[in-house]
Amino acid sequence: MAASFSPFGAPGGRTPDGTHPLPARPARLLTYAWGLAAPLACTLLAWPFRASIRPTHTLLVYLLGVYFVAIRCGRGPSIFASFLTAAAFAFFYAPPIFSLAISESENLVGLAVMLVVAVVTSNLTENVRSQARIAAQRERRASALYRLSKSLAGARREDEVVMIGGRHLYGEFGGLNTLILPDRHGRPRHPGGPPSPHSLRGADLAPVREVLGRGRPVGAVPGGPVLYLPLRGSEGILGVWALEPADVRRVWLPEQKRLLDTFLHLIAQALERARSAERAKLASIEMEAERLRNSLLSSISHDLRTPLAMIVGATGKLEEGLDAMDPDYRRRLIRAVREEALRMSDQTAKILEMARLESGKAALNRQWTAVEEIIGSALQAREGALRDRRLEVDLDDGLQLVYLDVALIQQAMLNLLDNAMKYSPPGSPIAIAVQVSPQRLGIDVADRGPGIPPGLEQKIFDKFFQVQAERAQSGVGLGLAICKAIAEAHGGAIHAGNRDGGGAVFHVALPMPEPPPVPPPADE
Amino acid sequence: MDGKRKLLIIEDDPQMRWFLESCLAEQGWQTQAAGTARAGLALARGFQPDLVILDLGLPDMEGLDVIACLRRRSGRPIVILSARNRESDITSALDGGADDYLAKPFHTSELLARIRAVLRRSAAAGEPVDGVFQAGDLRVETGSRRVFVGEREIRLTPIEYQLLTILARYAGRVVTHRQLLAEIWGGAHIDQIHYVRVYMGHLRHKLEADPARPFYILTEAGVGYRLREGG
Repeated sequence: MAASFSPFGAPGGRTPDGTHPLPARPARLLTYAWGLAAPLACTLLAWPFRASIRPTHTLLVYLLGVYFVAIRCGRGPSIFASFLTAAAFAFFYAPPIFSLAISESENLVGLAVMLVVAVVTSNLTENVRSQARIAAQRERRASALYRLSKSLAGARREDEVVMIGGRHLYGEFGGLNTLILPDRHGRPRHPGGPPSPHSLRGADLAPVREVLGRGRPVGAVPGGPVLYLPLRGSEGILGVWALEPADVRRVWLPEQKRLLDTFLHLIAQALERARSAERAKLASIEMEAERLRNSLLSSISHDLRTPLAMIVGATGKLEEGLDAMDPDYRRRLIRAVREEALRMSDQTAKILEMARLESGKAALNRQWTAVEEIIGSALQAREGALRDRRLEVDLDDGLQLVYLDVALIQQAMLNLLDNAMKYSPPGSPIAIAVQVSPQRLGIDVADRGPGIPPGLEQKIFDKFFQVQAERAQSGVGLGLAICKAIAEAHGGAIHAGNRDGGGAVFHVALPMPEPPPVPPPADE
Repeated sequence: MDGKRKLLIIEDDPQMRWFLESCLAEQGWQTQAAGTARAGLALARGFQPDLVILDLGLPDMEGLDVIACLRRRSGRPIVILSARNRESDITSALDGGADDYLAKPFHTSELLARIRAVLRRSAAAGEPVDGVFQAGDLRVETGSRRVFVGEREIRLTPIEYQLLTILARYAGRVVTHRQLLAEIWGGAHIDQIHYVRVYMGHLRHKLEADPARPFYILTEAGVGYRLREGG
């Protein structure tokens, strides 16, 4: 009902959200001017025809005038016009002319009837007018609710619901507002986060507590300009909405009050919906984590039981027949026990490390260290195993300082070295290269093995992933996953690819801050 | 008092206790062992050991507190055993008064080497270390302040020389970054650990055949440095 033509006058008075205009009446003075003008116009109109029309019929012309004023200007002006009409008629048309007396009874009756008609008409039009106004307001409220409903339907998160609710409340009631929610312990807390244009700041928490307790609205004129309204959900009061309406009295009008209640009800529903959606999401994350935990446990169980079986078996055998045993055989058993035990130790360390990195509690212990020191200590730790390998180490500037968690990066390096050794034939070379550029450290570890099967460059960093499934020696498959977690903890990344000439290359890229100034050469 | 040196073991795992005692008794030590910190401290008072092996993960007291208590009574050397291997725990223990550490699981040969190194230092405690330090081809003459690798003399700056002599004094034992920083630059720069790293890098370049694979000055990741022992 976008009124292009309205018999009730020009549209005006837009609501704050700029929609549906109210039909408004012209200014009061103007209406009375019309009330004056209409009878005068009618008098002038009928004057040339006074000879050919009987006075009673002239009354009809005046009636038109009064009718017009009643429709256009309302009751007051039309009654004013009626009386003016009576005077004009009596003076100009009813014999004796130019005197206010009316000598003929039919003119008197006609006048009386006209007055009655004028009053009744103006009452009627006044009613219709106010009905139309009421209907327009109802329509406006309904469309405000519809808009709120539509916006809320699109909100997925709690904060979105609150934002939308606040915006619409501001739009409809013209007041700054804010939602105050109770914390875990039921105590009201001011909302965090950046304020929006419609936010009410510095709301008093005492009335909030009262509302939470009593469950009824508090505030308005007695206490202060701010209203505290309970937001009622299906399971109790979710929070309190503090609203400072533009016009407090208007808010308490029954229709407005109902609208406000409906608004709050819609918002409460949407809030509950968003919360249960978030709960469902958390539940599914929990389930996923549980699933991962279970697969981890079963993997651990498998990978630790095998070496344990070896240890228990071998030591049992040693205990039984130690005296009569061939010395070489004995030595072999003992070596096997030691190796399996070390393997288990390594596995467990990896599993624990992965768990630690993932728990989010692994705070990085970053220090400035030299590039060659990091590489050197990793090579030192694998000294024995690397003895039969040719190492090609290319450090850009070994003395360059880099900022990282030394123990974690060492671990990542060791995992990469172990990986290179495992997947390339003994005796084949392993290459390590480091490039330091401003704000970036790059470490490459490359081998001359069969390389990475195409398409698996990302998957190899998944937990428990192994290129050849069920290889007895391959371990739990966490080494590369740990490297990835470590790289990412430093804000960097790790990539895998194949080299020219065959073999795999792993590239770690870490962002670096400005190195600190070199120490003062005080003692030089 | 027989000539044997006395060793106190404070370790809560009974198998590990038994293993350490038997191992060390074989090496000629007279050993006593305790399963809790309090029992260990009580034993220390009575037994007066020449060396203490302390596990950091004792159930009744924090490792750092045990070290502090032991230190209060005497300057006897302490070697810690650590199962957790968090380098921050180890560094705190070393800076708090322990002399060296061993991460579990360890080789017995490592344990014995650490004990030897720790005792050597303690024997010479208080006396200026004068004379010659030799490890492999590295030779440090503290009298004349000259350093040689094989036949070649190496020119070191005063700071580099200080670094090397401190490591030599503690040869075979770990020295934390903080210790080096404090001894050379003093307490004012206690948070500028990178100073140590920079100069250590320079020193390595002068001494080592391949500074990225050092032979003499070994890195203990996140903890400090250890100079290879002579002989």
